Amino acid sequence: MMVGVRKLKPMEVLDKDALTNIHLNSLELLEKMGVKVFSKEALTILDESGAKVDHKKQMAWIPPHLVEEALKKAPKTFKLCARNPKNDVELDGNHISCSTDGTGLTTIDLETGERRPSTKDDVAKSALIVDALKLADLYYPTVTPLDYPKHAHVLHEYDAALDNTQKHFVSGATYLPEEAVYLIKMAAAVAGGLKKLRERPIISAVACMMAPLILPLGETDAALEFSKQGIPVVAMTMPLTGATGPITPAGSVLIGNAQILGINTVIQMKYPGAPVIYSSYPMSMEVRTGAFAVSFPEATMVITGHIQMARHYGLPNYGGGTIGSAKIPDEQAAYEKALCGLMSMLAGGDVCGTIGLLENYTVLSYEQLLIDYEMYDMMLRLAQGIDVSEEALALDTIYKVGPEGHFLAEKHTLKHTKDVWMPMLTDPAPYGTWKDKGAKSVVDVAKEKAKEILATHKPTPLDRDVKKRLAEIIKEGEKGIPH
Amino acid sequence: MSCVGVEILLIDSLLCYPIKVVIMQEEQTVLSKLGEAVKSFDEEAAVEAAKEALKIEMDPLEAIEKGLTKGMREVGDLYERGEVFIPHLVAAAEAMSSAIEVFEPEILARKAKRKVLGKVVIGTVAGDIHDIGKNLVSCLLTAAGFEVHDVGKDVSTEKFIEKAKEVEADVIGASTLMTVTAPEQKELADAIAKSGLKAKLVYIVGGAAVTPQWAEEIKAVYAPDANSAVKAIKGLLETRK
Ligand code: B1M
Repeated sequence: MMVGVRKLKPMEVLDKDALTNIHLNSLELLEKMGVKVFSKEALTILDESGAKVDHKKQMAWIPPHLVEEALKKAPKTFKLCARNPKNDVELDGNHISCSTDGTGLTTIDLETGERRPSTKDDVAKSALIVDALKLADLYYPTVTPLDYPKHAHVLHEYDAALDNTQKHFVSGATYLPEEAVYLIKMAAAVAGGLKKLRERPIISAVACMMAPLILPLGETDAALEFSKQGIPVVAMTMPLTGATGPITPAGSVLIGNAQILGINTVIQMKYPGAPVIYSSYPMSMEVRTGAFAVSFPEATMVITGHIQMARHYGLPNYGGGTIGSAKIPDEQAAYEKALCGLMSMLAGGDVCGTIGLLENYTVLSYEQLLIDYEMYDMMLRLAQGIDVSEEALALDTIYKVGPEGHFLAEKHTLKHTKDVWMPMLTDPAPYGTWKDKGAKSVVDVAKEKAKEILATHKPTPLDRDVKKRLAEIIKEGEKGIPH
Repeated sequence: MSCVGVEILLIDSLLCYPIKVVIMQEEQTVLSKLGEAVKSFDEEAAVEAAKEALKIEMDPLEAIEKGLTKGMREVGDLYERGEVFIPHLVAAAEAMSSAIEVFEPEILARKAKRKVLGKVVIGTVAGDIHDIGKNLVSCLLTAAGFEVHDVGKDVSTEKFIEKAKEVEADVIGASTLMTVTAPEQKELADAIAKSGLKAKLVYIVGGAAVTPQWAEEIKAVYAPDANSAVKAIKGLLETRK
C-alpha cells in the first residue's frame, strides 16, 4: 500500500557534524557527569556491566563503549503488533504511523461541549473511533478513567481499549513495576500466553526519564519488567526548556539524548535485543508567564533534533506529531498541530499523528480527534513526495490533450483519481454551497462525524473466556497494585 | 533641660557625627550591594554582601528589608514592564533566599522576627515527581515576600504536617499532576483538619490533576497558575487576619 510509506527524503535539521557532536557530548555526560539512578536493579545492571557505580549516592558513570554496545544491540526495525495482524505497524524508518495522544484527565463532552473529568466510557469511545479510522494505527489511552480506582487506571484503560479496538495498545502512564506486571498478564491473556505475547507484542509502554540526567525508580523498573517480556519500551524524554533542560534547543536535545542512551544501556545490558523506541515530548517556556507549551517553536525544534538523532542511531522514534496547547478546537489548535505535525513528518518521524488531545496532552476533544486525523491524513499524502515516474509525468497524455484540450475525462486522470487526497471533514466548496449546507465550521462537521462513527462502527469483540480472565486479572490488580 | 545638658549633647553629637556618618556610609554601601546582587541575579554576590552586613553588625531585618527586598521589588517592576522574564524572577528570588539564609542565625539570636507576608510550606505530593510548576509557585511566593519552605517532591503527608508545625505555617501548598496521586491532596486535607494547625491556615492546591471541583471537594483553594496562586494566598491571608 502506498499510504503510510515515506518517499520524501527527511529534511536535515542537524547536519552530520552536529549529530556527531551531540552524540559525543552525550557519551561524555554519561561518563563524566554521570547519571542519577534511583532504580536499584538498574544500578546493579550497570555495575555488573562495568560502569562505575556508587550505590550509596545512587550514581552511575557509564563508559562510552557500553553505551555504544547497547546501541548496537537495540533492534533497528520491529513491529508494533496488533490483535488483528492486518493492523500491525512497521517501525523501519520508511513507514509513518498515527497514534492517539494521551493520557489526558479531562474530556470536552461531545454532547454538552462542557469540560468534565474523563471516564472509562471516553477511553472506550475514543478507542472505538480509532478502530474505525483506517489510518489510525496505535491506540494510546487518550484519557484516564477517573470513575474507576485510580491506582488501577492503567488496567481499566487497557480493558476499555480491548473492547473497542483491535489496534496496538501503547500504555502511556505506567509508572510502577506492579502496574507493568498486571498489564502484561492482561496482554498475555489476550495473546494466548507469554510466549505468544513475546512473538507478537500487542502492547508497548512509555517510560519517562527525568531531566537533567535521572533514571527514575518506578519508570525504570517498569521498563525492565516490560523488556523482560519482549514488550517494546517507549523511552521518553521530556525536557522543559529553561527548566529541566537548557533553554537552548541544542542543549535540550543533548540532555534528552543522553537520557535515552542511558536507559537504553540499562535495558540492553540486561535484555540484549529488547525493542526500545526513542521518544521525545519536550515543552518550551513562555518566558513572560512561566507557562510551558508542547508546540512552541523551541519545543518543536527539540523534537525534530531528537527524531534526527534517533534516525542517526537507526532507532525507531516516537515524538511530536499533532500536538498543541490550545484549550478548545480552534484556530490555535489548528496551526500548532499542523506545524508540529508537519515538522515531525519532514524531520523523519515514524509516528507523526498524535491525535485527539488539547492543552498539552491533558484534554480530550472528540472533534479534535477527527480534525487531527484529517491533518495526519494530509501529511501522509505530502510524505509521499512528488512521483516523477514516466507515468506520473504524463507526457503522452499531455500530447494527446494538446495545447487547447482538457484533462477531465482522460484515461490517465481516471486511473489516478484513486491517488488523489480525499477529505473526510475539510470543505472545499464555494461559499453558497457551504451556506446552503448549514454554514458549518469544521468543528461542527467533526462533531457530526464523531457521533456517526460512534453510532455505527461495530468493533470485533473479545472472546468470552478471555473477557472473563481479564476481569479476574483486573480484580487482582486492584488489590495487588500499591495504593 | 539644663545648659550643661545641652552642651554635653552637643559635644556628644559632634564627636559621634563622623563615626556615625562612616557607619551609615558603610551600611549604605552594603545595602546597595545587597540590592544590586538581587537585581543582577547574582547569588554569590548576595551571600557575600549578607556576610559583610553581619560583619559590620547591621540589623539583619533592616538589611533584608532595605537591601534585598528593595532589590527584589525593583526586579518585580522590571518584570511588570516586560523588561525581564520569569527566569530572572526565579534567579532573583534564589539570590535573595540564599542571602536570607545567611542572616537567619543572627535573626534567631536577636529573637527578632522577619516581617513576611506569611509562612508557606509547599511541596509535590507523595508518588509524584513533577516539580517544575511547584518550583515556580515557590519562587514567585518568595519574590512576593513570603517565607517559603519548599519541602520538595514526592513528599508524604506526615512531612508536610511536620514542617508546617515546625515553622507555624500560615499556608500549606500541595501540587500534583497525576490522577493516581491526586488522592494524596485529600489525605493532606484531612491531616490538616486533624493536626491542630492554625484554624486560619490556607490550604492551596494546584497542578494538572487538579480542577476547581476537586479543590472544592477537599475544601482547598485552587489556583490554575503560579501568579494566581500568589494572588489567592495574599488575598486570603488578608481577609483571614
Ligand atoms: C500549591 O499551590 C499550587 C498552585 C498552583 C500550582 C501548583 C501548586 N502546582 C502547579 N501549579 C500551577 O502553577 C504552575 C505554574 O504556572 C503550573 O504547573 P504545571 O506543573 O502544571 O506546569 C509546569 C510549569 C509545566 N508543566 C510540567 O512541568 C508538566 C508537563 C508534563 C508534560 C509532564 C512532564 C514534564 C514530566 N513527566 Co509527566 N508530565 C505530564 C505533564 C503534562 C501537562 N500538560 O501537565 C503529566 C502530568 N505526566 C504524566 C505521566 C503519566 C507521567 N509523567 C512522568 C514523568 C514526567 C517527567 C519526569 C518526564 C517530567 C517531569 C519533570 C519535572 N521535574 O517536573 C511519569 C511519572 C513520574 C512520577 N512518578 O511522578 C509518567 C507516569 C510517565 C511514564 N509512563 O513514565 C501524565 C499524567 C496522566 C494522568 N492521567 O494522570 C501527564 C498529564 C502527561 C500525559 N498526558 O500523559 C500550574 O499547574
